[in-house]
Amino acid sequence: MAEDNEQKPADRPDGARGSAFDVLMSFLKVGGSAFGGSTQAMVFREVVDRRQWMNEEQFIIGQAIAQVLPGANPVNLALYMGLKVAGGLGAAAAVFGMVIPAFCIIMAMGFAYQEFSSLPVTSFVLHGVAAAGVGATVSQGLKTTRKLPKSASTFIVGAAVFITIGLLRWPMIPVVLVAVPVSIAWAYVEARRAA
Amino acid sequence: MDNKLLGLFVVFAPLSLLSFGGGQAIVADIQYQTVSVHGYLTNAQFADLFAVSRAAPGPSTLIAALIGYQVAGFWGAIVACLGIYVPSSLLVYGIASWWQKHKTSPIKIAVERGLAPVAVGLIFAGALAVVRAALANEPNNIIVALELVTLAICCSIFYFSKIGSYTVVFATGGIFFLMHLLAF
Repeated sequence: MAEDNEQKPADRPDGARGSAFDVLMSFLKVGGSAFGGSTQAMVFREVVDRRQWMNEEQFIIGQAIAQVLPGANPVNLALYMGLKVAGGLGAAAAVFGMVIPAFCIIMAMGFAYQEFSSLPVTSFVLHGVAAAGVGATVSQGLKTTRKLPKSASTFIVGAAVFITIGLLRWPMIPVVLVAVPVSIAWAYVEARRAA
Repeated sequence: MDNKLLGLFVVFAPLSLLSFGGGQAIVADIQYQTVSVHGYLTNAQFADLFAVSRAAPGPSTLIAALIGYQVAGFWGAIVACLGIYVPSSLLVYGIASWWQKHKTSPIKIAVERGLAPVAVGLIFAGALAVVRAALANEPNNIIVALELVTLAICCSIFYFSKIGSYTVVFATGGIFFLMHLLAF
């Protein structure tokens, strides 16, 4: 796989283009390695850091849309990214790549669960894998934060969502249902004031 | 058999459009439909399948595949997956293509700028949730410290290098496997 010699400008206005095959290969890889709730960070890693199909700002919009709409976030995210990079075929390739490895693994785990879940080494290795996954997530959060507009609304909304859901463990759906319209209205007002 | 396949699709397809925020939102209803309404599973079977789905990589909605397999074999798994993924994917496809095609307007810019900080807040909240879940029942402080160090090292690798996630995840798994053999 010739990943690193395709240098594409990350800030192309209409989003960089790749082939549906490249999209499939990328998402098969992500789908097979996204343990521990870190799928979105792994997709970011592949799509932004490595393939440079889009920049952080373009990615976070796709991630937000994937989160707000119903459906599994990783599947929605793959669909959005595949569509942006390679059109309808890319969307199908990305979803297929995201679901198939996980599908095969979960079926195998369904068989193996009784055998191996009690072995201490299993939970130990999963601990390490989860830590790596969280490392990817924190890295993505830092990179994206760096690119956000430096405004009061950005900082306050981001912090409020983290505090309520992350620290206080409020349920996600009601928080998001309130935070999204407030944040959009606030961004609209800020933009009009600036204009 | 065919009735079961159809039944699986009828259970999962509507839930697909209700799965805001992913699988967590609909787990309760999956349990209600498959155990209480249709009697496809016992409560104990459901709990086991739920545990497997949480330990596996990939979206938590893949519990549909496990239930489908349990109920109607391989084709049950396929049909349940189609039911849980196709309706929401069609919706996302429609909205995403509309969004990507239509160029900037003040409203669209406001939506994009407004959604971004919510998404970033969720990223950090998600990281914290995983850390908390992983360390919740861990009595051994050495393992806790080991995990936090691993987290920091992996975060730095992801932040400063272009090494692929696949490589980092599997190398970490391998190193933990060796450490377990040697030290714990």
